[in-house]
Amino acid sequence: MTVTPPQRAEQLLQRTLGPGGETCAILGDLAEDFAEVVERSGPRAAQRFYWWEAVLLSLSLKGQRALDGLVSSRDGETLETMMKSAFNLPAIVQDTRYALRGLRMEFRLYLFSMLIIGLGIGATTAVYSVMSPLMLRPLPFDEPGRLAWVANDGEGGLSAVTSRTSNLMDFRALNQSFEGLTGYMAFFEQGSYTLVGHGEPEKLVGVGVAQNFLDVLRVTPLVGRNFVDEEGVWGGRPAVILSHGFWQRRFASRRNIVGTAITLDSTSYEVVGVLPPSFDFAEIFQPSSRVDFLRPFPISEETDRRGNTLSMIGRLKPEATVASAQADLDRIIAGLQQDDPDRWGLGANVVGLQRQVSGPYRSAMWLLAAAAGAVMLIVCVNLSNLLLSKGPKRAKEMAVRSALGAPRHRLLRQLLIESLLLSLGGGVIGLGLAILITRAVAAADAISIPLLRTVSVDGSALVFSVAAALVTGLVIGIVPALQASTGNVAAAFGGSTRGASASRASNRLREALVVAEIALACVLLVLGGLLLKSFQQLLDVELGFQPRELVTWKINSARDFETLTELTAHSDQLIQNVLALPGVEAAGLTDDIPFGTNRSWTIRQPGMEGEEREMVGVFPHIIDSRYLQTMHIPLVAGRHFTVEDDESRDRVVIFNESAAGVLYPGEDPLGRQVEMFSGLATIVGVVADVRHLSLESEAGAEMYLPYSQAWNFSSLELVVRSSLPVDVLAPSVGAAIQRADPTIPITHYQSLTQVVDQSTSPRRFTLFLLSAFAATALLLAALGIYGVLSYSVTERTREIGIRMALGESAGSVLWRVISKTLVLASLGVVLGAVASFAVSRSVGSLLYGVEPTDPATFTLMAVVLLLVACLAGYFPALRASRTETVIALQAM
Amino acid sequence: MYTSFSRELPYEATTSLAKIGEFELLVILAIVRAGDEPYANRVRRDLQDNADRRVTRGALYRTLSRLRDKGYVDWQMQPSEVPERGGHPMRRLKVTKAGLAAARASRAVLLDFFEGLGPLADRG
Repeated sequence: MTVTPPQRAEQLLQRTLGPGGETCAILGDLAEDFAEVVERSGPRAAQRFYWWEAVLLSLSLKGQRALDGLVSSRDGETLETMMKSAFNLPAIVQDTRYALRGLRMEFRLYLFSMLIIGLGIGATTAVYSVMSPLMLRPLPFDEPGRLAWVANDGEGGLSAVTSRTSNLMDFRALNQSFEGLTGYMAFFEQGSYTLVGHGEPEKLVGVGVAQNFLDVLRVTPLVGRNFVDEEGVWGGRPAVILSHGFWQRRFASRRNIVGTAITLDSTSYEVVGVLPPSFDFAEIFQPSSRVDFLRPFPISEETDRRGNTLSMIGRLKPEATVASAQADLDRIIAGLQQDDPDRWGLGANVVGLQRQVSGPYRSAMWLLAAAAGAVMLIVCVNLSNLLLSKGPKRAKEMAVRSALGAPRHRLLRQLLIESLLLSLGGGVIGLGLAILITRAVAAADAISIPLLRTVSVDGSALVFSVAAALVTGLVIGIVPALQASTGNVAAAFGGSTRGASASRASNRLREALVVAEIALACVLLVLGGLLLKSFQQLLDVELGFQPRELVTWKINSARDFETLTELTAHSDQLIQNVLALPGVEAAGLTDDIPFGTNRSWTIRQPGMEGEEREMVGVFPHIIDSRYLQTMHIPLVAGRHFTVEDDESRDRVVIFNESAAGVLYPGEDPLGRQVEMFSGLATIVGVVADVRHLSLESEAGAEMYLPYSQAWNFSSLELVVRSSLPVDVLAPSVGAAIQRADPTIPITHYQSLTQVVDQSTSPRRFTLFLLSAFAATALLLAALGIYGVLSYSVTERTREIGIRMALGESAGSVLWRVISKTLVLASLGVVLGAVASFAVSRSVGSLLYGVEPTDPATFTLMAVVLLLVACLAGYFPALRASRTETVIALQAM
Repeated sequence: MYTSFSRELPYEATTSLAKIGEFELLVILAIVRAGDEPYANRVRRDLQDNADRRVTRGALYRTLSRLRDKGYVDWQMQPSEVPERGGHPMRRLKVTKAGLAAARASRAVLLDFFEGLGPLADRG
């Protein structure tokens, strides 16, 4: 097989070098060398070689051409000779000293510039640091690129994307793409364990994992060992591996805890190991939750009966890719389905693990990165403008030096060193700012974004900010430097006698820069406005229940109950205790509070045959007779559950309106029966839809079952409605719970408003940062306008003086300056609006209930910008209108 | 384009002094040395191996263009049968008469200046 050079690199060269025979010859030369490298070091190295050469060549040929255009370099003065003399160390030291002297002389101006640069670098570095663990840095596993996430191919909640354990067993046996396949029990948050002994009872969260889970991820326990066969099978020896955080917190990092037993609920588990600090299960797989230990989840016939439970993870073989693994699994699934047409729940969707983890946050992160970039751009424009305004003054200095024999590259270097010093100073400020921001972000518990707690300004962020500072220095310095370093003696000194029209071109340039600044600020403001509006829409969403004044406790008894009657009696006693408390209005039980995980059961109308045997997936909630009233979920038809609906009576069920609409469209569902795996149940009531999964998603088909008839829950949550403040309510409810059952941990409770807040936290996070960026942009744009106008007013003092001497009124002068502001600002707003129009479509996925082209937002932001621009222009205008004719004319 | 003082000197001396850099001279000589195979890759290798210089591709191509602009070097495109080139043509490089003259003048100037320095020129 012959290896050909990378096509993209060839295209790059063709584009930069332009068409023609020479380009072809160059491509040929490169191709020849490429073949040689293939021979010597293999195709991969050769690809790298080709890219490197292509980029270098494009830069060097293109760069020279650009330089020729800019500098009109002296004969024979090539990029190389210029570089060489530019890096002459003693001269650099001299120039740096000179530049420092300059900075000292105009300290206030430069400090101000450094602060502005610091703002930009701080913002970009902070965003970089937040993005880095999620999207740039590899996950904390060995060879993380080979880890893949295998989801089921359904759509909807967790039930649709998890798999049966039989899938894992078959995939393991038949696949050719994975070195290892494993999984964990995805619904782990629904269950919980109570640790007894070792002090106060505590509610713990444990995840069931396949026995080879740590092996596939290549995580080695810090202390102890991984699970062994006897622990990984159904009914095997109970064992746990503690998370590092829990081990530190509860057992004070005692190594000898390994090998001893802890009691969870009423079972004794051997602690066989402790996870290393680098692997925090929850941080990666379930942000904002907490995982205290792993325990084995048997991959067996018994667990297969529970239906879709597993989230699967595989380690690809070195030669396999996500695509080849997908093809492999597709083939296996087709075969399995053919062997057993009745088999359900088969499906596989392979994605890289990193992609899976960062997936939901990618677009928000890119938006933030783009916004930070825009702020940085505005900073550069602003600073460039500031340096340009010093142009005429510098031009004289440069003309003198040029007349005394300084070559142009020397002048250029001097000016660039100045702007680099400026930007490095700003970089230091920015770094400090970034450290503050990232500390605040990492400490924010309420934000559920993976790996956020690991965010910090690390080495790579440091490199990033230094690089950002250097690039900034070059960007802000290059245009003013080129302008000032022309060393045109006649122009520089000729200008000083006339003053006024010295730099019409330079004014144009600076006005153009301000327009660009306003346009960028406009884009950020519009995006921020759109996000803000979607956030408001989201908060205004009709939840279907009333989260205010609701507090929940997870009721997790360490006691064993023989019968359902025993359990319900126990819980009823508990509720009676709570209801007896002063200030408690209502209390109820459910197996899942809103915005938790979901699940899905299939039901159908009984008695249908053949084609009509359609199964419908419904989200079941198991509740007591008081839950719906406690939540203020309105009853639309029929009745609520009562305490009489127990095991001795016929099974009953309450539908939500969506479920009723799906199963009995246009009919009265009351009194009809539905068939589910546990038997037939009669529909006794219909309640309104509730947003259970998230604020964004509408309710699907859901049903409610009385917990006194269905023992299909792993834990219960107590929901209490009371107008008392949470911290007043919590101790008395806790005491009431413990009076009924002292083994129930009571330290973990949360208000439902907190739960709702947490579900909007990624949005709030994005919104907060973007608004901060937009505000910064607005401020900088205002400063930009102010700077340009106030400079032009100073420059034209004499002209204004003459005009006023000839009778122009102060009002007219004021108006002329302000109208100029308005012209600049309007131009910027128009350009910005067009750009926003183009950009806002790409953030469509982040919006909720707002069109990306929402006219109200666009208009509002335009008005805000124009007002701010007027304000920024007002002060220079005022100054102009107060020009004293005599003083102005004296300056002649 | 030309600086004013160049008009006052004889043509050859001017070109060698003001118009030809060391690297340019080396490139011209390498083309001549390449004999039957005056191609860019060959020239580059010769310079790397025998002139003890790291020659970036960009520097060589730019120098070639500059030498052609000065009229010292020229080339013809010729189709290539070498399979590794993937069907791309080759530049057959040629040093022009003016180029040879410039190189010779350059050499003369150098020799002139070394002349009579005696042991000073020979010591390392």
